[in-house]
Amino acid sequence: METPNPLESNLISKLTKLATQKRIEYWDIRVAFSSGTLLEFTNGKNKEVSYSNIKGIGIRAFVNGGWGFSVKQNISDSSIIEGLNEAIKLAHYAERYSKFKFKIREYDLIRDKYQTKVKTPLNDVNIEQKINLTMKIEKEARDFDPRIINTNSLYTDSIINSLFINSFGSSIEQSISILRIFSIVHAKENGNLQRNHESKGGVGGYELTKKADKIGIMSAQKAVQLLSAKPVKGGKFTVIMDPKLTGVFIHEAFGHACEADLVIAKESILEEKIGEKVASEKVSIIDDPTPNDMALFGSYKFDDEGIAVKPVQLVENGVLKTYLHDLESASRMNEPPNGHGRASSYSSKPQARMGVTYLKESDWKLNEMIEDTKYGMFCENWKYGYTNPATGNFQFKTRNCYKIENGEKTELMRDVGLSGLILEILNRVSAIGNKVEFSDGICGKGGQRIRNCNGGPYLRVEDVVMGGLQ
Amino acid sequence: MITNNNFPKDNNVLFDRGKFGLRITEKFDKVKCSEIYIQKTESFAIGLEKNSIKDCNKSESCGFSVRVFDKRGSLGFAYANDISSKIIEKTINNAVKMMKAGPPNDEFKDLPFPKKSNSKITGIYDKNIKDLDFETPFDLIKDMIKISSEDSQVVTQSGDFSSLYTYYYVFNSNGIEISSEETAASLTSSIVVKNNRKNETGNGFHWQIERKYKDLDAIEVVNKTLQMAKMNLNRIKIETMNVPLVLTPKGVISLILNPIASAINAETFQYNRSFLVGKLNQKIGSDLLNIEDNGLINGAIGSSEFDAEGVPCQNKKIFSNGAFLTLIHNSFTAGKDNVESTGNAQRNSFSSTPYIGSTNLFFNTGDCKMQELFEDIKIGILLDYTGDSPNIATGDFSGLILNGNIIRNDEIQESLNETMIGINLLDLFNRIEKVSNKLEVYGSKNAPYVKISNVQISGSK
Repeated sequence: METPNPLESNLISKLTKLATQKRIEYWDIRVAFSSGTLLEFTNGKNKEVSYSNIKGIGIRAFVNGGWGFSVKQNISDSSIIEGLNEAIKLAHYAERYSKFKFKIREYDLIRDKYQTKVKTPLNDVNIEQKINLTMKIEKEARDFDPRIINTNSLYTDSIINSLFINSFGSSIEQSISILRIFSIVHAKENGNLQRNHESKGGVGGYELTKKADKIGIMSAQKAVQLLSAKPVKGGKFTVIMDPKLTGVFIHEAFGHACEADLVIAKESILEEKIGEKVASEKVSIIDDPTPNDMALFGSYKFDDEGIAVKPVQLVENGVLKTYLHDLESASRMNEPPNGHGRASSYSSKPQARMGVTYLKESDWKLNEMIEDTKYGMFCENWKYGYTNPATGNFQFKTRNCYKIENGEKTELMRDVGLSGLILEILNRVSAIGNKVEFSDGICGKGGQRIRNCNGGPYLRVEDVVMGGLQ
Repeated sequence: MITNNNFPKDNNVLFDRGKFGLRITEKFDKVKCSEIYIQKTESFAIGLEKNSIKDCNKSESCGFSVRVFDKRGSLGFAYANDISSKIIEKTINNAVKMMKAGPPNDEFKDLPFPKKSNSKITGIYDKNIKDLDFETPFDLIKDMIKISSEDSQVVTQSGDFSSLYTYYYVFNSNGIEISSEETAASLTSSIVVKNNRKNETGNGFHWQIERKYKDLDAIEVVNKTLQMAKMNLNRIKIETMNVPLVLTPKGVISLILNPIASAINAETFQYNRSFLVGKLNQKIGSDLLNIEDNGLINGAIGSSEFDAEGVPCQNKKIFSNGAFLTLIHNSFTAGKDNVESTGNAQRNSFSSTPYIGSTNLFFNTGDCKMQELFEDIKIGILLDYTGDSPNIATGDFSGLILNGNIIRNDEIQESLNETMIGINLLDLFNRIEKVSNKLEVYGSKNAPYVKISNVQISGSK
């Protein structure tokens, strides 16, 4: 695969000269080459076996509150210069009509190279091996139970080689390797059709497939289990969430409102809440995308604006400490950038986004938490979730839940929606488990989908509104 | 630095490169049939944040994809955004490698054969969008800013203008050779308003997407957004109840049209993943359930002469007086069912294989005047927007009302907080009681107001 060569110094001096002549205060350039495999099998048949090769450049220019952005797909000196010229022209247009004048604060330049730690490089594994694995997952799910009527397995991997440079003199070369596997299963009995979806993956090489060894069986097992689940009756309940659900709850019910671009746009309910109590004092929330041995799907070392990541403590003992910043929001709010300016690819502009967001553990054991609950719901996993950061309304769908009666898990229920108001719900946390677990996700915002992780321990919340079909 | 081919200004280059690719695929003995899809796009956008212009963006992209099938039905697919000879050859080699490695699929019959279109579609290309001067759309954005800055309740507005020019060719080894030149331009607005007395915020959004630049109406977009945002104020929590429900056109799109578009997709159907399986040619809804998918309307956003595999688009009645009549197909699902493709193959870009999608989907109007919709509702719910969508496999829907109001004595009153709604779509189809005589257009979806006789509402009071 092609890799971006570091830009030659005479090109960089040409770009610098051009930007200075045209009164540009900040510019950055992202060059990327990516290649990837997508394999999809349904009911034992080939749905898609594909290979992709994509390259391009995203060029931003900034002047006095106005941004210009130009995307080119030809990687050449002339194309970069043409792109910067376009971005400059567009930045001046934006600046002319922009009401809010501000500067991008300069930070220390970073010159670094980073490569995902990989045990088995994706390109060292032949396509037949990848196909066999994906088909095996699909077959294991299909053979699990006669009530399974449709199975789908999906394997996706990609290697993104990129180069970032900006007008501060930063230059970062990266090679990121990611892999993800999905199993989607539909089971049917007496006209009742249920769907389950499982995924595993991370940042790394083919060794990540070990995480997905039993994913087909696991997915099938849950789909069949859902056949016996009953629709839930709506109302208000004490809810115990499993770590997967806690993770998405923190992401949806709180994380989005911490994104500083939404705060600046006056679209977050957490505006002007720094230093205030926004949750029960038991609650601490952190976003830390720093790569580690867990090879988490949401991890990264540098964001898409060339800022190195570090742990960001969003909430400490119930008090809001800071927001998640991109370069612009950090400059406008006079805060240091904290590594959350992320873009889905070279062809999109960075926005303030989450990375690996989690609720910190406390001291409750799960069995004690259930025993301590007289009547409630024990909810597992999730289907999707969303929030309206301006009003604080959020909602997510759990995959299934059990009734808790007199401290014991009883009847299985399905199609459960949980909803609430951000600033109320986190004050109703009554117990936090003792171990954090993470799960992978893809988060959408402003048309961009990025990889991330959510996590947390088992969590108990009082008076949660649940909606059902009865 | 690496140098590559330039972005092609001339569309004839796409023709030459596409034909070149097709000729290469035909050299492989193992390839039974093949297809090249080659596309270029140019887009421009102006972003609005905090009721002020924030950024301008320009983007260009040109790429192609290749599908090759062998006699076993195994598909190899590959794509790249570089149309130089070297990369075309390399990409086709990758696709053939994928095809050889893949398992057989006896459900694949063939790629489509050429068929003449009976309709000439006009009005899907506007030179004013293709040759748009960057300064021109600033006037639309300035109108949007002016209206919302004059309203004392507005806290902020975000949104954008965007325009897109697309040119593509589809070539296949069965002789299909079609091209299409299309444009679209859109305005979106999202507004937060504040009720200072109650220190409460509410929000609304609206959008318009058109084939022609002159059809964009910034003033109407902002006024509709403002109306929705203001209706979102004065939120109350309500008790759990079983009451009539009125869906706005946006509500009809999210609760009826979008789920139907998924449920009538032949692929979903063939895999038994649709709640409509087993219901074809049966009456499953009220007489007022009349839905059609029409890809042949001049100037409409979902129209084109041919679909993304080169099959002519059609007009199809999906539901007539509550009876479910037909599915929508691409060539693969049509082959599997031994029927003709309905011309519903679509692609987001050259990077996707053809999936199945609706063209212009209509919930046909009824004869009810607006004020008649609310008549005799002592207590009921108006639903404008929910972020949730029904479970297509079961038809079950339970969702949070993000924008909705309580109706008391025929009048729309306070907005709702923490209120959820639950119903199965088959019940909803049967409980359609009134349909308004006017419809609203949101891109390729067209919907009137619809009244449902009774629905379960879970409140938090």
